Amino acid sequence: MIEGGFFILLNVVFNVGIYLILSLSLNIETGFTNIPQFGRLTAALAGSIAAGGIIGRVAAILAGQPIGDEFIKANTHVISEVNNYLFANPLVSILLLILALITSILLGALIGLLTALPALRLKEAYLGITLLSFGEILRTFTYNYEPIIGGTLGVLTPSFLGFTGDYETITLLLFVVIMAMLCFAIAERISKSPLGRVMRAVRDSELAIQVYGRSVMRIKIYAIVIGSAMAALAGALYSIFTKTSRADVFTRYSWTFLPWAYIMLGGVGNNLGVALGVIVMSIARSMISIYKHEISSYLFNIDATWLEYILMGLVIILITMFRPQGMLPEKPVFTLPRDRIEEARKRSLKERASS
Amino acid sequence: MLAIILTSIAYASILAIGCAAITLLYTSTRVFSFAHASMVSWGFYLTYIFYKLSQLSPYLFMPFAALIVGIYGIIIYVLIIRGLIRAKASEITLMMVTLGVDFILFAFLNILIDYFYYNFKWDIKNVNIVLRDLTVATIVNTSIKAVHIVAPVTALLLLLLMHVFLTKTSIGIAMRASIENPTLSSILGINVDMVYMLAWFIGSMFAGLSGSLLTMLMQGSSTIGSDLIVMYFAGSVVGGLQSILGGLFGGLLVGLSERLLSYYLSSIFPWIYAYRFVIPLAMLVATLLLYPRGLAGLVERR
Repeated sequence: MIEGGFFILLNVVFNVGIYLILSLSLNIETGFTNIPQFGRLTAALAGSIAAGGIIGRVAAILAGQPIGDEFIKANTHVISEVNNYLFANPLVSILLLILALITSILLGALIGLLTALPALRLKEAYLGITLLSFGEILRTFTYNYEPIIGGTLGVLTPSFLGFTGDYETITLLLFVVIMAMLCFAIAERISKSPLGRVMRAVRDSELAIQVYGRSVMRIKIYAIVIGSAMAALAGALYSIFTKTSRADVFTRYSWTFLPWAYIMLGGVGNNLGVALGVIVMSIARSMISIYKHEISSYLFNIDATWLEYILMGLVIILITMFRPQGMLPEKPVFTLPRDRIEEARKRSLKERASS
Repeated sequence: MLAIILTSIAYASILAIGCAAITLLYTSTRVFSFAHASMVSWGFYLTYIFYKLSQLSPYLFMPFAALIVGIYGIIIYVLIIRGLIRAKASEITLMMVTLGVDFILFAFLNILIDYFYYNFKWDIKNVNIVLRDLTVATIVNTSIKAVHIVAPVTALLLLLLMHVFLTKTSIGIAMRASIENPTLSSILGINVDMVYMLAWFIGSMFAGLSGSLLTMLMQGSSTIGSDLIVMYFAGSVVGGLQSILGGLFGGLLVGLSERLLSYYLSSIFPWIYAYRFVIPLAMLVATLLLYPRGLAGLVERR
């Protein structure tokens, strides 16, 4: 029972970590800059490709394994050889892990840029549909084109932290949590930076920001590139943790609509609110999936999977109708710490008094 | 060969009906409805369940299935959309709220499927009654099924009906006026709210009809709507999202290109068939980037 409980905890923490990164990235694009990013899965899938398809092959070269057709066809064998090699070389493994994350961030940023350039000429629903279509195109293509990540079969991702032995899962999980915290810090930093303020200005009035001589297009491209890079990191971490990289995992529901529901619940434009939304909903979803038999025995044998859908739907509808600002509404951000603002205020008062 | 052309035309007509639904909802209430997916699935399953209960021809029940889904549309409008439109919600907010509606409709459809499984021992997670379709005639070893005639005729009939409705009847003219300028029409005594409700009823009915016709053309599960939703979106965007007729033609074009074009291309490059879903999406993106007004923009009066 303790082991079961421990497993549940791992599951919740993992979901919170991955979805926190994903939702924060969506918040940068949607919450700060008002880009209806309905194609969150595009960048996440790119991140998974970077980890499984690119760095997986780099590891295979280092381990003296084939990277062409055989890498796909005899993937289980190749990756088990790679894992043996990585087990013997901890330093190489750590370097490869870092390289995998960097590659995924770069690839995500590139994909973001490629989708942003044509799409940003459009507005509102049209923009959302275009971004959604880009995601579907990339997913359909990756799912059918075997040489990237094995098409329908997928490929295994090397276990980069295999040398830690029994503690591998815990170490990986810790790594995911650290990455999520780092992303939160970055998102907060962006929110308080001049860039973040310009992003919000673009959201609130494009005309006003143009009057002040800023390029709206450029700010939106920054937002999509930063957001996509972050989402790609989430995709890569997911693939590294679950040790598989497959296109069909990256569904519209899990990788686009769930983050949307989370940020709407938490508070669009507020990083802390997003974190709260992710934590609350991840726990709720995990509880539903853990106690599904108990729940369905009370509720006329209704399968708990459908209850999760109903819950998600109700959250989205009720939040939009009755509390569009979310659980934690967005507040004006203080770009400096409070005491420094007070200090500046006192100084200016003193100057006024002396003059 | 003939069979493929016939199936493609039937498929494209079914898609066209759904695209007209999306376009109607978008032009009237600015809602780009994600709930369309589950409405199609509901139409699909309702037709099947009626058929299975009565063992009569599924075609008899298609109007009923469409009507039930149309009533869902009214409920959704009254409970959710109306308030948000009054609060001047943005297009994206409206889109997201229909996503929530979609989840709920999807969940209830699956609960219904489970209900029939537990109480009637029907295994209907996957439905395939394509072979039960009537064969109307046989030409050059190709049997022409009823759906090959019913689907295009229905699309054509709806086209005519919508045209007559929008140009000849007073309520249709009121609808066009409210779509063009809601404030002015309400000054002239048109109940814009009723018009929007009617638009939701007709739009949802078309979505349900599109789904119920699909029962005779392809097998599917409760995700049939969300599998096809991108095709519906593509069709309505290619149509231009401005007039219902544009939506119908856009759907026709997307459906035909997905089926026929990929079939012809695959005789030259056999690998291309797996990527046939990319064709409509590429059309969608190309339309938006090159000619955002779509097909409707081509025939627009200046």
